[in-house]
Amino acid sequence: MAHQTLFDSDEPEAPTNRPAATGRIREWVSRPYARAILILTVVIGFVLLPLAWLILAAMNQTGAPASPIMEEIEKTVFWFTIVSIPMTAFVFAVLVYSLLGWKRISSDDPPMQESPAIRTNRTGTIMWTVVSSVLAFFLVVWGMIELAAITANSYGTIPADQQPGDEQPLIVNVTGQQWVWTFEYPGYDGATTPVLYLEKDRPVYFNVTSKDVIHNFWAVELGVKIDANPGAATQTGVTPTKAGVFNVRCAELCGLHHAYMETTIEVLPKEVFAAAMREMGGGKTS
Amino acid sequence: MSSATVVQQHSVPQPAQHGKPGGMIRHFNVVTAVILGLVLATIFGFLANRLVPSGATGATFAPVLPDVGFLAILIGWVLGFMIGIGAFIGPFRWLMGRDLTHADAEYLAGKDMGVGRYFRYTTDHKVVGIQYLVGFMVIIGLGGLLAMLIRTELGVTWAGVFSPDSYNTLIGTHGIAMIIAMIIAISGPVGNFIVPIMIGARDMAFPRLNALSFWLLAAAVPCLVASMFAGGIRDGWSVYQPLASQSPPGMIGYQITIIVFAISTGIASVNLMTTILRMRAKGMTWARTPVLVYGIFGAALMGLYAFPFYQYSQILALSDRIFGTSFFNPVEGGSVWLYENLFWLLGHPEVYVILLPSIAVCLELIPVFMRKPLFAMGFAIAGVVGVVIMSGLVWAHHMYMTGWAPFANYPFMLSTEMISIPVGFLVLVAIGTLWRGTAWTRLPLMAVYAVIFNKMIGGVTGIYLSDVPADQFFHGSMFVVAHFHYMLMGAGLFGAMAGIAFYFPKMTGHILDERMGSIGLWTAFAGFQLTFGSMFVAGLQGQPRRVLQFDNLFNISNWLSTIGAYTIGIGMLIFLAAIIFSWRNGKVASGNPWASKSLEWQTPTPVPLENFTVLPVVTERPYDYGVPDPYATAQKTSSDKAGVQ
Repeated sequence: MAHQTLFDSDEPEAPTNRPAATGRIREWVSRPYARAILILTVVIGFVLLPLAWLILAAMNQTGAPASPIMEEIEKTVFWFTIVSIPMTAFVFAVLVYSLLGWKRISSDDPPMQESPAIRTNRTGTIMWTVVSSVLAFFLVVWGMIELAAITANSYGTIPADQQPGDEQPLIVNVTGQQWVWTFEYPGYDGATTPVLYLEKDRPVYFNVTSKDVIHNFWAVELGVKIDANPGAATQTGVTPTKAGVFNVRCAELCGLHHAYMETTIEVLPKEVFAAAMREMGGGKTS
Repeated sequence: MSSATVVQQHSVPQPAQHGKPGGMIRHFNVVTAVILGLVLATIFGFLANRLVPSGATGATFAPVLPDVGFLAILIGWVLGFMIGIGAFIGPFRWLMGRDLTHADAEYLAGKDMGVGRYFRYTTDHKVVGIQYLVGFMVIIGLGGLLAMLIRTELGVTWAGVFSPDSYNTLIGTHGIAMIIAMIIAISGPVGNFIVPIMIGARDMAFPRLNALSFWLLAAAVPCLVASMFAGGIRDGWSVYQPLASQSPPGMIGYQITIIVFAISTGIASVNLMTTILRMRAKGMTWARTPVLVYGIFGAALMGLYAFPFYQYSQILALSDRIFGTSFFNPVEGGSVWLYENLFWLLGHPEVYVILLPSIAVCLELIPVFMRKPLFAMGFAIAGVVGVVIMSGLVWAHHMYMTGWAPFANYPFMLSTEMISIPVGFLVLVAIGTLWRGTAWTRLPLMAVYAVIFNKMIGGVTGIYLSDVPADQFFHGSMFVVAHFHYMLMGAGLFGAMAGIAFYFPKMTGHILDERMGSIGLWTAFAGFQLTFGSMFVAGLQGQPRRVLQFDNLFNISNWLSTIGAYTIGIGMLIFLAAIIFSWRNGKVASGNPWASKSLEWQTPTPVPLENFTVLPVVTERPYDYGVPDPYATAQKTSSDKAGVQ
């Protein structure tokens, strides 16, 4: 037992003062329980680590990420998972060790034995405060930077006539009503479609509104989500970077057939998109 | 009141006794309340039918009759029930110029009344605590039953069990019933029964308001049940406008429930806070006040400022509905964002109203079972204070995706992520107290392990949702549902189970059956992980919440969720059976079966009417357990040896 050495009165070198920080940490790590908890933390951390990829795998099942916004979202989710694993692993390690490592009594009567009266621990509390503050600070800074990035990527702050890109951006007026989505293309003679057609690599700008109650326009694999409010228009945008068929779902309870208020997105190459638009009655390109 | 320390210097004229002790209140109990409630409901409904004849149209040219009629019936019910229980007798006596005599007050407190006192307007805080406990179990039973039906619909993917309307009613009613149940889960039973004894008081500060707060709740909940027979609450528990204005009259049941429940909560909050501020025993300074008292105080404070927003939102919505005003109707200049703001100004503090007492009760019982003092109590208090302050500053994180104010997302993301620091303090205190202790692995302590585990998962998934970019994917998906169930159920309800198991001997006089209780707890815990773990996956795959039909992609996670939900149901039934069995004929508990050092356990069981014959004086800090730390002693002796302080 490590206790024995600590109580041992004829240590070769008794500490002459409060030991230096490195010495105190070394002493702490030399305690068997501390070592065990640290090892447990590492083990649990590595067990949890695959979650970072499994979460992304679950998110990518239907073809995400299909836009830079979705890539930013997935990057955020990935790093938040990584960052939260050590703290979680440490707490779980303490839970496990306090049941299996330290002493345990399961008698019917209250135990006679008392535990060490640790009322506080300056190093421990300071470390916890610093680490949790640093983590929270990291989350905030990361969140602010990413929020600015996706705001720029969704053209939320840029007026519609100054959109980026070589050509005119695609403008789509999205209207939710119980319980269908309608997509109108003002640049194509106001053609309307029940399925959202987008052109690959061409920025698209959404004006979203609702005819009746609040809906939520969620283009799942594109990472676009914004409420469709009655009596107000909300703006967002995205650049689809992957051709394919994706999902639009309503993410705000909107009554009877809320569950069925879904449609598909078809992200098409340039020529195919133009052909599709012509077919929908939008003869004029741009 | 026979207090040994009071010296009667001159005799005070006592009010005269009119008739038998108690007076009119002798004739009122829950039976007269129900009868009078039903009678008034019938009369009001009949009058409404006469005043607004069939076929009348309102401002929107839609028939208003069912709305007005249902509203009148509910108002009649609440008024009749409160008259019938005797809630208005106090004010009536004042008008008559009669004060309560000592005998009256004792009758009101249920002295020598037997079981009947639980069915009356009884002022004793212990009776109110038991009433809240039973009320909590009834409401959570209702909510749990609805949850089973929801999961049945979502699990049996090959057959539509419910129509969309019924399904929407299920989720709305489940949500609000569970929210009400969890708000009273600990503040009700433990706050009323235990806290006054814990701080060394003879009763709550306002005993009659205490009874009023419970019976208002008892009047409110039947309105919720009635709404299910009047078209139901089809809009989720958040009942966003203008969707809610399309709902059948059942929505009025929701609105009346909330308006009445908010009054009940306000009264209970004021009562708890006054009791804690003014009635602590001599010598119980703030440093000597147990952490549970802080937790309950914080929850009461948050409830006090948050619930009025909720109440206003529902009053305004009701006014829109009945009088055709347009607070929230965008067609006539109202704002849906106004409703969302008012709602979430309650909505987020309310989460902490649920969570804080639950964590506080865990922190309170860990020292008893680990036989060591609470670790860093100052951090626990700082955590409580931090949560109380910050909970009011984060509400708009529910509105990141509404387009209400895109630039407000920055400050709300900041405040939301900062609240993880005070919550982290509470976790630190919990694991610091587990640190190097000898665990006495009884049911209450084991429930605490479950709480901390769930709390960590709920907390970590919360940081994704607090982040606007990530929330852009997760908002409105099943991921959110799983996250808040980890918080409100995983931490909240399991914490309530810990609290009930811990205080069960004091409240009922019997030990909660360890074996049956543990089987129930761990069955529910296993089912819980399966249900909501799978739900996280469904959310990651992109399943929106509140849908009754979904792509085949989500089938497997929903099947697993349903299996888990039934497991929770079985576990909870076993736990309930343990409670009922132990209450009726469990092992009789001594006054202090856990060998706790706090004040509430020093009273005899069952606790006498006025708790203490002589009011206690507190001379020590709470949680004075444990022996000197061998490591610290070792360091000290070695440095002593070297001649250094």
